[in-house]
Amino acid sequence: MAYVELIDIVKRFGRHTAVDSLNLAIMEGELVSFLGGSGCGKTTTLRMIAGFESPSAGRIRIKDGDVVDVPPNKRGVGMVFQNYALFPNMTARQNIGFGLKVGGKSAAEIDRRVDEMLALIHMEELGARFPHQMSGGQQQRVSLARALAASPRVLLLDEPLSALDAKIRVRLRSEIRAIQRQLGITTIYVTHDQEEALSISDRIVVMRDGRIEQVGTPFEIYNRPATAFVASFIGSLNLLSAAVVEPATGALAVDGQRIAAAEAIQGAAGRMVRLSLRPEMISLNNGKADNNHLSGTLANIIFLGSIVRLVLRLGGNELFLDTFNNPHLALPAIGARVTAGFPREACILLGPEEQSGSS
Amino acid sequence: MNVAARMPRSTVAAQAHPARSRNSASSRTNSASSRKVWSWLWLALGSLYFIVPLLATFLFSLRGKKGVLSFTAYAHVFKDAQFLTTFTFSIEMAILTIVVGLALIIPTAIWMHLRVPRARVLIESFALLPFVIPPIVLVFGLIRLFSRPPLALVTSPALLVAGYVVLSFPYIFRSVDAGLRAIDLRVLTEAAQSLGAGWSTTLFRVVLPNIRVALLSAAFLTFSIVVGELTLAVMLAWPAFGPYMALVGRDLAYEPAALAILSFLLTWGSIALMQVLSRGIRGTNATEYRGRRGSLTGGVH
Repeated sequence: MAYVELIDIVKRFGRHTAVDSLNLAIMEGELVSFLGGSGCGKTTTLRMIAGFESPSAGRIRIKDGDVVDVPPNKRGVGMVFQNYALFPNMTARQNIGFGLKVGGKSAAEIDRRVDEMLALIHMEELGARFPHQMSGGQQQRVSLARALAASPRVLLLDEPLSALDAKIRVRLRSEIRAIQRQLGITTIYVTHDQEEALSISDRIVVMRDGRIEQVGTPFEIYNRPATAFVASFIGSLNLLSAAVVEPATGALAVDGQRIAAAEAIQGAAGRMVRLSLRPEMISLNNGKADNNHLSGTLANIIFLGSIVRLVLRLGGNELFLDTFNNPHLALPAIGARVTAGFPREACILLGPEEQSGSS
Repeated sequence: MNVAARMPRSTVAAQAHPARSRNSASSRTNSASSRKVWSWLWLALGSLYFIVPLLATFLFSLRGKKGVLSFTAYAHVFKDAQFLTTFTFSIEMAILTIVVGLALIIPTAIWMHLRVPRARVLIESFALLPFVIPPIVLVFGLIRLFSRPPLALVTSPALLVAGYVVLSFPYIFRSVDAGLRAIDLRVLTEAAQSLGAGWSTTLFRVVLPNIRVALLSAAFLTFSIVVGELTLAVMLAWPAFGPYMALVGRDLAYEPAALAILSFLLTWGSIALMQVLSRGIRGTNATEYRGRRGSLTGGVH
């Protein structure tokens, strides 16, 4: 049974449709990410669940009750904002206790709960600090504690980490996930960062132009993208144009070189399709018998620390492939003719040439 | 400050013209120190422009007794029963004006910020009207409109307060507006609401405490305008401090100087009080900006 349910949600701003017939069911205790570029409707959807925007059409149900007409302060929904939104005139303790105080709890109860929350975010010593005396990461922790203090039914996070440094971002996201698991709170997490979404979510909702492109676990979204947009948005990806040679056996040709996909292809021979390949699925001079091989000229070597990315040119196509770095790595020279190998299962076919978003 | 701000620009210029760089490097220290001298000179001239007349007035106010410097004129002022009654009356009017003005303008400004940001142009041009329309025109308009039933308010102090609210509207609006701009009003109100707060809690516990400095400056500006105001008080025939000062200035010699110094002290006292009360709020925005800048460096992998 769904805990949070969005039914045919539409949101129009004037002539612009920000969210278009969106349907989604979120289970109790689940962490669901809304992932997409700017203007895809993810934040608007979140704000409708919080009650800061009302949908032009459709219903929103939380725990079996329709909340569309319920004002935000009565929804029992906790929210964490991108720029922390702590009250500058209050200490960390007062910020965390605000919702409880508004809710009419006794001073002793508020004290106890605030202590609990400070322990949860590992900031027991910093309760007396004002927001301007805290770092960004600390402020966002307090903001999380504040949203959780009054035990909301749903926790909403609106790009909570995008104002923070990369290192703190990575640490805080696993902390958020740990706290969410510990409390078992139903959580919706908005982000434009695919790595963040993949690492933190039970399920990811990939959005584009106010519509859902795909809903699935991080594993499904990454390994079996349903559309070219999802494939290119998540992770880095090779997109090659390939000609169908034999639909039944999955035979294709890229730059005149024969390869085969794992499954049969729909459509007639001679049709051009788009073939996507993850760079980490491709290796250099792989000798396994059932592998596909593509030969090309090594155009560039990009050193990325733990991995080294090679760029091959095959006629009009560019093929990236990743290999793990190690001190004894012997790489061919730029301009050399190299052969890349990949399994049949690595081939993801994304239908005919269609315009996709940028990765 | 000025010199420090300009220094980098001269450095950039030196890099841009390598051929001339040695030349300008040697002259840089010279020009910097000469600039320093100039800026001090201008500061001194500016200060003299303000201080000399004030000092002259002060010295003049001490000559109440022939041949010696004394506070006789001040004693006269304080002994005058009129001084106390008019001053008290004006302070009462000022307080009423502040209360009514803030009560009208705070909700309007918040509403504008949250719901109709496009109304800013309209409201700002309204806020300029008191500068364009002289008080004498305003007061005649008020008298004409409010001297007949059903709106015969011309003898009521309410009309005076209403007029003062109009006069102080630009100052109150601009202060409150600046205060609201300095905080992230939308996000703070949304955060308060998501925590269960209604409008009044949000206003009194979240918004107002965070624009305290702006509210204080609005209050003190209004206070200083109303306490010395002349035109409205005279035309509506109220025994206010402004008309009293004018009267004293016409009839006496040293006492007006004493009054002028007193009213200066009052203004400075207000400013000092404002500084004291607003201490401890400063610097709250610094971290927020740092956080924002961080967002530019983060993002896509």
